[in-house]
Amino acid sequence: MMDSTQTDKMLAEEGARNIEWAKQGMPVLKVIEERLKNSGLLAGVHVGVGLVLEPKTANLALALKNAGASVSVYCQGSSTTQSVVEALKGEGLKVFAEEGCDADRDLQLAREYLQTKLDIIIDDGASVIRLAHKEFPELLESMLGAAEETTSGVRPLRMMHEAGQLRIPVISVNDAETKYLFDNVYGTGQSCVMAMLDITNLQLSGRYVVVVGYGWVGRGVAKYAAAMGARVIVTEIDPIKALQAVHDGYRVQSLAEAAPIAEVVFSATGIRGAVPPAILELLPDGAILCTAGGGPYELPMAALQALGTEKIVRQSVAEYLMPSGKTVLVLGEGDCINCSDAEGNPIEIMDLSLSLQALAVEQIITEAHKWQPGVYPISTKSEQEVARIRLEHEGASLEPLTTELTAAIRSW
Amino acid sequence: MNQIAARDGKPLSDGDVGRAQIEWVRRNSPVLDGYVRNLVSDGSLKGKRIAVVVHLEAKTAFLATILADAGAEVIVAGSNPRTTRGPVVQALKERGITVVAAPDGDHHSWEQELRAAAELAPEYIIDDGAELTMRMMHHRPDLFKLLKGVSEETTTGTARLKAMQAEGLLTFPTLTANDARCKHLFDNKFGTGQTTMQALLKMTNRKIAGAKVAVIGYGYVGRGIAQYAKAMGALTFVSETDPVRALEAHMDGHTVGSLATVLPEATMVVAATGGMRAVGARHFDFLRDDVVLANAGHHDLEIDVEALLAASTSKRDSREGVETFLLGNRKIHVLSGGALVNIAGGAGHPVEIMDLTFAVQTLGTHYLMTTPLEPGVHIIPKELDDSIAAAKLQSFGVTLEEIHADQNDDFGLDKEGI
Repeated sequence: MMDSTQTDKMLAEEGARNIEWAKQGMPVLKVIEERLKNSGLLAGVHVGVGLVLEPKTANLALALKNAGASVSVYCQGSSTTQSVVEALKGEGLKVFAEEGCDADRDLQLAREYLQTKLDIIIDDGASVIRLAHKEFPELLESMLGAAEETTSGVRPLRMMHEAGQLRIPVISVNDAETKYLFDNVYGTGQSCVMAMLDITNLQLSGRYVVVVGYGWVGRGVAKYAAAMGARVIVTEIDPIKALQAVHDGYRVQSLAEAAPIAEVVFSATGIRGAVPPAILELLPDGAILCTAGGGPYELPMAALQALGTEKIVRQSVAEYLMPSGKTVLVLGEGDCINCSDAEGNPIEIMDLSLSLQALAVEQIITEAHKWQPGVYPISTKSEQEVARIRLEHEGASLEPLTTELTAAIRSW
Repeated sequence: MNQIAARDGKPLSDGDVGRAQIEWVRRNSPVLDGYVRNLVSDGSLKGKRIAVVVHLEAKTAFLATILADAGAEVIVAGSNPRTTRGPVVQALKERGITVVAAPDGDHHSWEQELRAAAELAPEYIIDDGAELTMRMMHHRPDLFKLLKGVSEETTTGTARLKAMQAEGLLTFPTLTANDARCKHLFDNKFGTGQTTMQALLKMTNRKIAGAKVAVIGYGYVGRGIAQYAKAMGALTFVSETDPVRALEAHMDGHTVGSLATVLPEATMVVAATGGMRAVGARHFDFLRDDVVLANAGHHDLEIDVEALLAASTSKRDSREGVETFLLGNRKIHVLSGGALVNIAGGAGHPVEIMDLTFAVQTLGTHYLMTTPLEPGVHIIPKELDDSIAAAKLQSFGVTLEEIHADQNDDFGLDKEGI
């Protein structure tokens, strides 16, 4: 038997190895870390990193630390990788996360994390920002600002601001082109389609795949499903996005029209009830439902569970027998399958998103003292810096912007 | 609750897990479970001893049950010591099928398993690499003489059978499944193509969009990999020695060139030649820093890992299944130690693909039993091959167009006024 110290040490080694592997695919973050370090801007600043805790986000925490910040890390138990926790502790970071802990423990850890007196919060879903507003308003006084990673976090922040309740400036990293054009499309698209194939050991070749929602994630899922040989049908409520889907070569129909041939359904909306219960009996026998980007709230999970016929037929594949005798399969309990059953987005994609987070921290330090509470975009300069560094690493070169071209662009 | 489990939450037995895995295969194998099952239920398999020597996981297990249901006495052995799955073995044993393989074996135990299969005197073999056929010839020539037919899965096995035929050692007819269109057009191209991309991306957690993927060899496997990589947004490169295939790769939109020109660009390199040392010592100088090397071909030495080890200053485990060799200041990553990446690093072929491949094997075996054939190496008749594709199409509800008399004009055979 090994004692817990030995186990922790082995976990820390495994975590360090996976963090190192991710680091090799994150050249942009490395360049930005160097620049921030040389600027000395982060010295003495206490940054809280509250993202899904895995090797890629661990690299952001380490980059901020190497650049001079003091860094604390928080994550919910359900999104935490313990080997990464141990590795970060080994690097001297304060970590408030325990893999698999329950909601009560999550809350306790979040409170302890906030009480370390953070200057800047990097948040996911605005959960820590909201907790601070609710329970620790006095801590907000000294806080410089925050950066938010996701669509689902930016929405409530805007609501809080409209209601006059938001007390700090927040940069919406999610709204950066360098984030959503890549992370949401290529990152979530690739990883969700590949996770579906990995879970099922099936093909998509020739299958009718319905993609619900043609936002950035839906476009990515449609693209990769088509690449794997699927015949893609898109459902969309917005006429302009639907028209785009037509021009991208997909059949566009209502969900009720597409359902009878839908062999696989990817819900890619982030919207509750995007796939309503009424669809279930329209689907062919054995249809597969899963979620890309959002969560189980998109699928009719309550209606399925109320049937009382759930059977796990394969790891991460639940089968529900319907009154008609047909079956419906749900992957990964309806959770976003690239997180529930794979390693999330590819490393190089997160290099872009997490580099933007590092630049958001810089922007908060240099500019936020001039700002009122509110939701702000990341600077165009930061977005372009990230894209330029990544382009260089991809071996691509830009066309030089000559004075003649500049003049032509500005002419009228 | 993601694990396969009973409704009361108690863990299931190995046999229950194996049965659930086999059932998943059954529900996704319309050809085997329908057309093939019906065809081989004509009594001709009754009491025949058939040895099945294929990677022993759920898809192979389902094949074994089809044969057993048709009345055959089935003997199951694995074709690789590392790919035998315990729950599947247990499920087969519990339904009375003879299994001579066990999980977690090594090369020695595998050898013993094949010898044990030989001792059971099979009349027919569904073989992989002619592994059991060869051993029967060497170790049990008395039982080898009693063999009535072999259906072989791979190109390598076919070459071995042809060598035996050339030496006059083949005393029974054999069929090469790989030559059936329902095998190589799908298994090699779509099966290996898709699952190689899955394994590459899963093992590395890297992106494919904008990746520079070099595929060495443009046979069916190489074509499949290049096609999937390109469709997923990679920049694709192909290296090939055959001018016709190279021209085909060019017209498919891949950048074709020698390894000296292709490798320096590549961020991912996949060997798909079926030969050895497709990436060998003479190519190491062309590899760029941080390149990922994977093998999708038959030989574990398509990437010369031994030479790479000899040339490198250090080697470390970067991640599960990923070894990193240091060549000067360049990091070279090798997946699965150079073994077949989609098998060693993934779940093997998609179920629907094996539905076709095993249909070829099963109908081939049935054909060997019901049709008098000369000793030697044969391919399955075109009508059988066609019937498998027709059954698959029928399962999708696809209707074929028929040729009509008035379309015959262009053939110019028996018409007036030409």
